[in-house]
Amino acid sequence: MSKPGLPVPSIPASADTPLRRRVLKAIRNRPTMRGAAVLLGVLVLLALLAPFIAPQNPYDLASLNMMDNRLPPGAAAMGGATYWLGTDAQGRDMVSAILYGLRTSLLVGLLSTGGAMLIGITAGLFAAQIGGAVDALIMRIVDFMLGFPSILVALVLLASVGRGIDKVILAIIVVQWAQYARLMRASALVERRKEYIEAAVNFGLPTRHIMLAHLLPNSVGAVLVVSTISVASAITLEATLSFLGVGVPVTQPSLGLLIANGFEYLLSGEYWIAVFPGIALVLLIVSLNFVGDRLRRSFNVRAST
Amino acid sequence: MTKNLFAASLLATTLLAGGAHAQGLKIALSSEPTAIDPHYHDVTPNNAMTSHIFEGLTRQDEKQGIHPALAASWDNDGANRWTFRLRDGVTFSDGTPFTSEDVVFTFCRTLKNETAIAGSFADVTASFASVEAPDAKTVVITTKTPEPLLANFLSTVRILSASIAKHDKITFDVANNCGVTSPWPVVGDFNDGKLALGTGPYKLKSYVRGTGITLERNETYWGGKEPWESVQFVPVPNAGPRLAGLLAGDYDLIENPAARDLGRVKGDKRFGIAITPSTRVIYYQLDVAREQSPFVKTANGKNPLQDVRVREAISLAIDRKAIIDRLMDGMAAQAGEFLPTGMFGALPTQPVLRYDPAAAKKLLAEAGYADGFQLTISTTNDRYINDSQIAQAVAQYLNQIGIKADVDAMTRTLYFPRRAKKEFSMSVGGWTSASGEASSFLRQWAATPNAAGTLGGSNYGGYKNEAFDKLIYEAVATMDDTKRSSLLQEATKTVMKDYAFIPLHFEAGVWAHKAGLTFTGRSDQFTLAMSARPAQ
Repeated sequence: MSKPGLPVPSIPASADTPLRRRVLKAIRNRPTMRGAAVLLGVLVLLALLAPFIAPQNPYDLASLNMMDNRLPPGAAAMGGATYWLGTDAQGRDMVSAILYGLRTSLLVGLLSTGGAMLIGITAGLFAAQIGGAVDALIMRIVDFMLGFPSILVALVLLASVGRGIDKVILAIIVVQWAQYARLMRASALVERRKEYIEAAVNFGLPTRHIMLAHLLPNSVGAVLVVSTISVASAITLEATLSFLGVGVPVTQPSLGLLIANGFEYLLSGEYWIAVFPGIALVLLIVSLNFVGDRLRRSFNVRAST
Repeated sequence: MTKNLFAASLLATTLLAGGAHAQGLKIALSSEPTAIDPHYHDVTPNNAMTSHIFEGLTRQDEKQGIHPALAASWDNDGANRWTFRLRDGVTFSDGTPFTSEDVVFTFCRTLKNETAIAGSFADVTASFASVEAPDAKTVVITTKTPEPLLANFLSTVRILSASIAKHDKITFDVANNCGVTSPWPVVGDFNDGKLALGTGPYKLKSYVRGTGITLERNETYWGGKEPWESVQFVPVPNAGPRLAGLLAGDYDLIENPAARDLGRVKGDKRFGIAITPSTRVIYYQLDVAREQSPFVKTANGKNPLQDVRVREAISLAIDRKAIIDRLMDGMAAQAGEFLPTGMFGALPTQPVLRYDPAAAKKLLAEAGYADGFQLTISTTNDRYINDSQIAQAVAQYLNQIGIKADVDAMTRTLYFPRRAKKEFSMSVGGWTSASGEASSFLRQWAATPNAAGTLGGSNYGGYKNEAFDKLIYEAVATMDDTKRSSLLQEATKTVMKDYAFIPLHFEAGVWAHKAGLTFTGRSDQFTLAMSARPAQ
C-alpha cells in the first residue's frame, strides 16, 4: 500500500495486470527463469510420457530380471537391450525407474499441495470472515500444527498407517495445510477491509456470496503463487520419507526410495543406483524452486513460513 | 645390534599401543536390540546383547555346544527329574550372592512376564511341573514330560536377581505369584538400567534407543576379568556406512558387512574378517489355516494358500541360487529344509528345492488359479541380511508365474508384533536353532500349539498336520538320541511335503574388525564382546 501523495514509481499496482500476463512476463524477463521453466516443462513432459518412452515398466515385477541386477551404465541386457544408466539390485532399468520416479514425485507433489491448499484456503477464509471464537480456534490449531517439524509429524503418521502413495499424500496434506490457512487468512483480512467488500456488506448480500464471489477470488492469488514452491517442498518431503523407509512401497520406488536403495551400494562403487535419481531429483526441485520463487517475487508475496 | 634395538623398541610401542587399545571396544551392529530385559523377546540381537550382562545356568560355545555356566554340573535321572548344582562364589554385579532363590525367581518371572512378545522363554519354563531349591546351591527341576534338551534350553533363560522385586520366601508356585509381593518387573525397568542386574562379564552403563548401548566391565566377574574396560554398541542399519565407519576407524568391529564390500577389507593388513556358516534359515511362512487371509485377494474370495499345490508353486517359482549369487554375493547356502546338514536331526543330505517356473504355472492352473491372485509379502527391512531386497526378488519370481505379488517392508519393531497378531499372509522369518537340533524350528513354528505354550508358539500360519504333530510331540519327549534323531528327520520330511514354510537359504555370519584384535565368529550369529580379544 503506497501512501497517497508520495511519488509512485512507474510499476503498475499489482492487482491491475491479469495473472497470465504477469506470469509470462516473469518468465520472459530472466534467462535463468526461462531455463528453469523450460527444464521444468521437459521434466513434466517426461513424467507424463513415462509409460510410452520408458524401455521397461519398473513397477511391473514380472518384467524385471534378477540376473540383470547391478549392471553398470551402458551394459547390455540379457534380452539384448541396453541399460543406459545401469540397473539396481532388483534388475530394474534405471532410466525407466527415474522416469516413473519423476511421475510419482510430481503426482505426490501436486496432489498433496492441492489437497493442502483446499483445506487451508477453506479454513483461512472461514477464520477471516467469521472471526471471533472460530478464528481463534482455527488459528490455534494452525499454530499447534506449525509448532511441530513437518518431517516428524509425517514420520509418526506414516509409521502408524503404513506405506503407500495415498498415505504419503495424506501425511503431506496434514503437515502442509496449516501454512495455507495462515496465508489465506492474512490476505483475506486485508481484502475484507477494502471498500468494495464494505459496499457488498452494506448492500445486504449474503455472507456466503461475499465469501465465495468476492473475498475468495481476490485473496487467493498469494496462496496460488506460494503453492509453486510448496510443490517442491512436498516432493522433498516425500523423497525424505521414502529415503527413511516409511514412504512409497518398495516395489514402486520414487526418486527418494531409489536414492535410498542406491545408498547401500555407493561404497561398493555402484554409484549409478543412487547418483542418477539424485540428479533427477535435484533438477526437479531446483527448477520448481526457481519458477516458484520468481513468481512469488513478481507477485510480492512474502514467504509464509 | 642397532636393528635389534629398533625391533625391540618397535615391539614395545606396539605393545603400548595394544595396551591402550584394550581399554575400550566399539562395535557397530546391523540390528539393534529392542530391550535390555533378557526375557522380553527371544530374538538374536536381544539375546546376544543380554548375554553380556546376564547368564544362564548353562552356556553355548561358538558352535552351540553346551557347557556349565551358573550351574557347575547337572544330572538327569533318565526321566523327568533334573538336578542342577550351582556354581560357588558367584555374585551379581552389585555384590549380592547368587543362590537357588534367584533361579526359581527367574523361572517364575518368565511365566509372569506380561511385557514379553509371543510368550518368549515361557515356552521353556511352562514345561516345568515343579522347581525345588533344597538348599542355596541346588535346584531340582521336574518337567511335565521328558525334556531331553533341558540343559540346552536353559542356556537361553538368563538369570535375574531375586532382589529386584520385593518377596517373601520364593517358591515355584506360579498360581500364588511365587511369593513375590511387589509388581513383577517390566521391560522398561531394565532398559533404564535400574534392574539390569546380572552375573555376566559386563554391566549396563547406558541404553539409549537408536543411539547406542554402553557396557562396562564387571570387575568381580567369576569367570575372570574381560580385556575390555568398556564396550560401546552403535546401531548402524546400513551396510555401507557401517563399513565406512570401520575403514575410518570409528568402530573396532562390525557385524554383517555386505559381502560385495568384503574386497575392501580383504588383503588389507589393517583389518581382519571372520566368516562363519550359521544355522539361521531364512524362510517364508504362509497363512494356510484361514478361509480368508488379510493380504490375499482372489476372484473366488478364498485363500489359495490353503491349497498345497499353490504353496508348492510358490516354492518352485523361486530361483534360490540366483538370490544367493546376485543378492547375497554368494554368502549363503541354499536351504531345502530348516537346518544345515550335519546338525542333530537334520536330513543326511540337504534336499534341493527346484526352480521350475513352468511346473509352478502348471500347478497354479491345476489349483484353479491360472490367472493368479494378489498377494502381499510382508517383510522386515532391518533384521535379516538383505531382507527387503530378498522379498522384492521373491515377489519378482511370483509375478513371473502369474501371482501378482507385492511387498510391504517395515521396520522390525512394527513387524514382529504385527506378525504375532497374525496380520500377514506370507511373512519372512529367520530362525537359528537355539538348541542346535532340528526340533527347535519344528516345535516352535510348525507344531500345533499345546495348552502349556511349550510348542507351536510361533505357528502364526496355523499349519496343522496330525502325522507331523504326532512325530514332533513324540520327538521332543524322547530321551534316546538315535530314536529322537530319526523321529526329527521323519518330521522334517513330513512338514516339507506340505510347503507351509518355504525355506530359502542359510545365512553366513560375517564380521570385519580392526587388526589388533582377534574375533571368533559364532554359528548362532551372536555378536559378543567376549568373542573379541586383543591380538597377542
